[in-house]
Amino acid sequence: MALSATVSQRKRVKRKAPRGFLKRLFKRQKPHLRLETSCDLLVHLNCLLFIRRLAEETRTDACKNKCGIIKDQHVLAAAKVMLKKSRG
Amino acid sequence: MADSYVSDNEPTTRTLLRRVLDAEVPRTPRRPRSTRAGAQRTLVETPFSMRLRSQTKTTARWHSHRARSIGRLAHIQTSEHLKEQTPRTLLENILLTAPESSMVMPESVVKPVPVLQMVQFSSRESSPGSLELQLPELEPPTTLAPSQLASGKRKQRLRLSEFQQGMDQGLPVPQGPLAEPHGNAGASSLTSSLNLTFATPLLTQSVQRPGLARRPPTRRAVDVGAFLQDLQDTSAALALPGDRTPVATLPTDTVLEDTQPFSQPLIGRSPSMHHSLPCPSLSAERTVSRRTRSSGPGMQKNNSPGKPAQLLAGKAEEVDAFTNGFPNTSNSISGEDGLEPLQGGVGEEVEELMEESLSVSEVKEAAGAQGSARAEEPETHTQVIEAEGSWGTTEAKEPEVSSGDKDIAASPELASSTPEFPQARQLEFLEPAPPTSPAVLSSEPLEPLSARLPPRVQTAGPRLRQDPYKTGLSHYAKLFSFYAKMPMEKKALEMVEKCLDKYFQRLCDDLDVFAAHAGRKTVRLEDLELLMRRQGLVNDQISLHVLVERHLPLEYRQLLIPCAFSGNAVFPAQ
Repeated sequence: MALSATVSQRKRVKRKAPRGFLKRLFKRQKPHLRLETSCDLLVHLNCLLFIRRLAEETRTDACKNKCGIIKDQHVLAAAKVMLKKSRG
Repeated sequence: MADSYVSDNEPTTRTLLRRVLDAEVPRTPRRPRSTRAGAQRTLVETPFSMRLRSQTKTTARWHSHRARSIGRLAHIQTSEHLKEQTPRTLLENILLTAPESSMVMPESVVKPVPVLQMVQFSSRESSPGSLELQLPELEPPTTLAPSQLASGKRKQRLRLSEFQQGMDQGLPVPQGPLAEPHGNAGASSLTSSLNLTFATPLLTQSVQRPGLARRPPTRRAVDVGAFLQDLQDTSAALALPGDRTPVATLPTDTVLEDTQPFSQPLIGRSPSMHHSLPCPSLSAERTVSRRTRSSGPGMQKNNSPGKPAQLLAGKAEEVDAFTNGFPNTSNSISGEDGLEPLQGGVGEEVEELMEESLSVSEVKEAAGAQGSARAEEPETHTQVIEAEGSWGTTEAKEPEVSSGDKDIAASPELASSTPEFPQARQLEFLEPAPPTSPAVLSSEPLEPLSARLPPRVQTAGPRLRQDPYKTGLSHYAKLFSFYAKMPMEKKALEMVEKCLDKYFQRLCDDLDVFAAHAGRKTVRLEDLELLMRRQGLVNDQISLHVLVERHLPLEYRQLLIPCAFSGNAVFPAQ
C-alpha cells in the first residue's frame, strides 16, 4: 500500500526543499551521474545541517569579536573551518 | 384553480402550491375568511372544471364564475394583503397573478387566459373597439408560447366578436364577469394588478420598480477612426522595437527618432493634429481618451505602452512611472482612469523629448500640473525631465512639443496655436526646471541616463544561468540568517552564498566518488548516508533517520524512512 489515502490536512509544506534546484545543480555538475528519487531530500538535509553549523560558527566568531552584526570576515573564517570539517 | 384539476396528471408547481394552500389550516385569525373563500372556490371550481372538460362552450361561464371567485378571493385577499404579508398571501398572490398556463400546457388551458383578459379589458374600457387595440399590447408581455398565443389571439378575436354581440344584447352572462372585474378593479391594486398581470406581467413589474428595469448600457460615442488608427499604430509600434525593455532598445531608439520612416506611422494616428508626427498621435490619443472614456481604456493603455516602446524604450519606465503619477495632475481629465491621459501625455512628452529641448516645457507643464497635486512621484518627474532634457537637446522640432503640452492642459484645438507656445514654454521651463530638478538640468543630462541604462542591459541579458542558481542559493542564505539569529550585512550574505557554492561542488564530487566506488552510475541513499557519516553528522549515537525526523518536514520523512503499512506493505519499498 502506498502513502496514506488521506492527504495531510495542511497541504502546504513548510520549509519546502528546492528539489528542482538541487536536481538541476547536480545535473550541471555531474551530467554523467544520475540522482535517485529521494536523494535530493537528503542533499537538502545535508545543506541544512551545513548551514546550521556554519551559522553557529559565524555567530560564535561575531560574539568573540564583540560585534552586534555578522560581517563577511566572520563568515569567511567560519567557512574555512566548516569546509575543512565537512570534507568527507 | 381549475388547472390543478384539469392537469392532475401533470403536477405543476402551481397545482402543488394550490393544493398546499387549500389543504393547510390557516394560522392567522384573518385566514378563516380566505379558507372559506378557498373552500368555496374549490367547490365552485370542481363542477366547473368538469364542465370544462366536457364542453368548451361553457368556458366563458366557467371563467366568469372563476373570475368571480377569484375576484372574491382577491378582494378578500387584498384587504388582508394590505394589512399583512405572510408567505401564504404571497403564494396566493403568485398563484393569482402569475400566468395560469405554462408553455407546455395545452391550448385548452390557454384559452381561459385570453378570455379572462378580454373580459377584464372590456370591463375597464367598456368599448369593444378599444379591445382590439389592446390585444396587440398583450403580445409582448405574455409569457405564453407564441404559437399558443397566436391561437389564443385568434380565439380572442373570435370571442371578442361573441363578446361584442353579448354586450350589445346585454346578456346577463357577460355582465357577470363584467361587473365582477369591474368592481374588483376598483377594489384594490391587487385586482387591477390581477387584470394587468395577465396582460402585461412584465410591464407592471418594471413600472412598479423602475430601478429594476434593464437599461440599455450607456455608451459614449466611440471615435472609430481614431481607434482604428491607434490600433494600427500600436501594431506598427510593437513591431518596431519589440518589448518595452528600456535598456537594449535605447540605441535603436535614438536612431529611430531621427529617421523619417519611423515617424510616418505616427502621422496616421493623429488626423486631428496637423503637427508633425509623434505629438499629433499623442494628442489624438489624448483627445480620444477624453472623448471615449469608457471605451477608450483598453485601447489607450494599449496605445500608450506601444508609444513609449516605439519612441523611447529607455523612457518607458519613467514614462510609466510618470503616467502613474500623472492621473492626479491631469486637470481636464479628473475622474477618468488616469492611465489614459497620463499615458497619452507621457507619450507626448516622450515624443517631444525625441524632438527637441522644448519637450522640457512639456515637463514643465507636467510639473505645473503635478504641482497642483503634488502627491505624485517627483522622482519619476525628474527622471522624465532628465530624459526629456537629454532628448530635447538632441532633437529640435518645436511644434510637437507645444501640441503635446496643449493636449495635456487644454483642448486639442490649442494645437493650432502651438507655434507660439514653444518659446513661451522654453521660458517657462527654465524657471520651473531648477526648482524641480536642478541636478537634472545640468549640462549633461545624458550621462545619468546612459549610466543608468547599461546596468539594465546586463541584468536583462542572460537570465538562464544566473537567476535560478542565485535564487536557490539565496534560499539557503535566508536560512543562514535565520539560524544565525543575528543581524547580518549584505556582504556577509554574499559570502555565505559563495561558501555554499563551494560546498555544493564538493558535495557533488564526493557523491561521484562514492557512486564510482560502488560501481554505480546512480547516486543512492547509501551514498548520502556515507557522506554524512564521514562528515560527522551521522555517528553511532545519531542515525540518519533521527536527523531526518529532526530537520525535515513530515512529508519528506514519509518519503525517506520506510514505514510499514497494513497488509505487509512497506513504503518506500526497499
